[in-house]
Amino acid sequence: MNSQSKKLSMVSSLLIVVSAILIVISLFFPWWKMVFVAPQYPEGLNIIVYPNKLEGQIDIVNGLNHYIGMANFSEKNFPELAYLPYLVGGLAALTLLTALLRKKSVLYGLISLFVIGGGLGVFDLQHALKKFGTNLSPEAPIKMDPFVPPILGHNTVANFHTTSLLGLGTYLVIAAFILLLIPLWKDRK
Amino acid sequence: MKKWIPIASGLLAGFVAATISFADFSSTKTNTEAASTTKSDAEKVYVPFGQKDDYYLFASGGHSGQMFIYGVPSMRKIRTIPVFSQDSATGYGFDEHSKKMMGDYTWGDLHHPAFSETKGDYDGKYMFATDVGNSRAAVVDLKTFTTKDIIQVPNTAGPHCAAFVTENTEYMFLPTRFAVPVGQKYESLDNFSDQYRGVMSAVTFNEKNQKLGIAYQVALPPWSYDLSDAGKKSSADWAVMSTYNTEEATTNLEINASQADRDYIVLFNWKELAKMVKEGKYENVGGQKMIYPEKQKGGIYLIPVAKSPHGVDVTPDGKQFIASGKLAPTMTVFSFEKAFKAVANKDFAGERNGIPVLNYKSVMEREVNPENALGPLHTQFDDKGMAYTTMFISSEVVKWNPKTGETLDRVPVQYSPGHSVATEGDTVAPDGKWLIALNKIAKDSYLSVGPSHPESMQLIDISGKMKVIQSAPVDPEPHYAQMIKADKIKTINVYPKDPKNKEAVYKQSDTKIVRNGNKVDVYGIAMRSKFIFDAKAKRPDVIEVNEGDHVTIHLTNIDFDEDITHGFAINSYNLNMEVQPGQTNSMEFVANKAGTYPLYCTNFCSALHQEMNGYFLVKPKK
Repeated sequence: MNSQSKKLSMVSSLLIVVSAILIVISLFFPWWKMVFVAPQYPEGLNIIVYPNKLEGQIDIVNGLNHYIGMANFSEKNFPELAYLPYLVGGLAALTLLTALLRKKSVLYGLISLFVIGGGLGVFDLQHALKKFGTNLSPEAPIKMDPFVPPILGHNTVANFHTTSLLGLGTYLVIAAFILLLIPLWKDRK
Repeated sequence: MKKWIPIASGLLAGFVAATISFADFSSTKTNTEAASTTKSDAEKVYVPFGQKDDYYLFASGGHSGQMFIYGVPSMRKIRTIPVFSQDSATGYGFDEHSKKMMGDYTWGDLHHPAFSETKGDYDGKYMFATDVGNSRAAVVDLKTFTTKDIIQVPNTAGPHCAAFVTENTEYMFLPTRFAVPVGQKYESLDNFSDQYRGVMSAVTFNEKNQKLGIAYQVALPPWSYDLSDAGKKSSADWAVMSTYNTEEATTNLEINASQADRDYIVLFNWKELAKMVKEGKYENVGGQKMIYPEKQKGGIYLIPVAKSPHGVDVTPDGKQFIASGKLAPTMTVFSFEKAFKAVANKDFAGERNGIPVLNYKSVMEREVNPENALGPLHTQFDDKGMAYTTMFISSEVVKWNPKTGETLDRVPVQYSPGHSVATEGDTVAPDGKWLIALNKIAKDSYLSVGPSHPESMQLIDISGKMKVIQSAPVDPEPHYAQMIKADKIKTINVYPKDPKNKEAVYKQSDTKIVRNGNKVDVYGIAMRSKFIFDAKAKRPDVIEVNEGDHVTIHLTNIDFDEDITHGFAINSYNLNMEVQPGQTNSMEFVANKAGTYPLYCTNFCSALHQEMNGYFLVKPKK
């Protein structure tokens, strides 16, 4: 284990640069979405989450959710959307820095950051889903048991079948993460 | 090379997953075309749920004042568009915009619909219509299927012979069915020939502000103008109209207007008329630019035709026009080219009312007289230029070749067809798939509903040998209809937000009731399932005014969700309007009845629609 062996190869460095680019690109695509399908909405209603904004038929979903006493989804309710792009941008910058430093130890650190960040993201989303699904107004015209829709997969609420999906942005980040793992394998002793 | 495999596979996996998640694999299907001869009649008209009809049928509603929209080939009724008559189902004639458009009229007689055209083909943007009952013209926006403007046409009484638009919707011409004195002032019928006129209006449409206007008028002789068509392609600058009562009879027209052996087709060049107006060759009559053909000469000619013709229809290639004899059992085919030559050579057989009459023999190409076919009224065309003429008296549709006069096919219809409509059958490019006979008498066709019956529309497959394969009852009374390929019409799903509209409120918290003396302006919203007129009030869904207050209620539907339409009615106040998704609509009235009046949503909107109500409280005067 000399210092030479800890230095990442040029190819690995390039892979990490690509990883940084993918992370930046991911900012412009949805990271997560939930599709609501009901008998009278065969085309489906969407809540689409970008790192910096919500899109889809938010007003319509809110209009329907008030019948079961759910709070409104809005960008105001998700302060994360204000700083998430900077965190992601920062991560991209760190990734680029790792590529320049070409040090294995730094790469380990970066991968740890990815894992922690990803874990926090999942936790945050889970928290939000729980908050909206369980804090139902007692004055709602339609009473229903609290529920927590899954981060991925199907759920049924009244006449709505919901499907939660990862967005292209998340897949790009996963791809970016895989690109970070490859140098470990490639530059193994 | 090997090291790229994991990278590529990783990326690929990501993109495949993303594609599966986000890509839209659905596709919209329309009913398969009718032409297939392997299908039974029932299969040809059956449009399974999930599929859509191939054509929209826009049928005039006659004296219902409305327009009826059907799907073809299923012949299912889809919508009624109120145009000239009140319609409480949509609040038409109750809300401010439609009330103002309708003036003081409560009904109309919608005769002839006309799609806007580009290069002689339907462009699917607008529909024009005329009102014979109260001398008006209207335009319907096909993005929303709602009436946008109505114009009252002066000096005219009953624009029956319309609407027809020129090749690129430059003008819509409105000739009149009834002659009246200019200004419609009192005048003894003894002075009919001198003082009465059959005024035709050149109506323009400004697409930007969606307003109709009158460019100029022509004081034609005091005859009745029956039907008309604009030229196409080489004849695009010209138009033709049929006339009757050139006898200028003033009573018992049934007999007296049927005496002369020949009436006329009026042939005019609208570009020349527009040029004359530009050069100041007109007289100012009550604010209208009026051309008097006997004084401002040029651009208008008469062609003798077998007596009392009804339809006059231009062939798709624009080379011929066909007059249907009605009382004479003859279709007369005229040639535009021959007419142009006669005009150029001044090949006239004298004048009538100061207008040159072209030599019949110089313009006529052939007289067509299918055996025992009686009462030819109106002609449509297929993709091969073949003509389909309705026979009112012998109750049939006759297919014939305008180039040879040969009868090709005929089919009985039940009963007495007025007009017919073929798929895009009056354009430069007819489709040749379907023809619908608009029958005046249904009698024994449907379950009986008493002495009077609905009208009937019969669907005829014209892709091969003509065959009636479906029949649909329809309210009184389609005079003419047009059929347009469904994909030409692009509707909107919701009204877009209009930040410039001062009457609109899009946020619950912006709702307010503004009081200014005895004037009360309400800026409210409707949403599933409540009204909010003043978000800060103790009861946001209550409007309280004083007896005699002038009340204006502006209501915006903030459910931007397709087909979530709300209604707004005030019980016992004879008021009701609708707000479509995203739309802002207004209602203005004087609260002249003190008391307690529930207000409620009239258009079933949600599971809690029944709870969507409030109160309109009117405090009595002391």
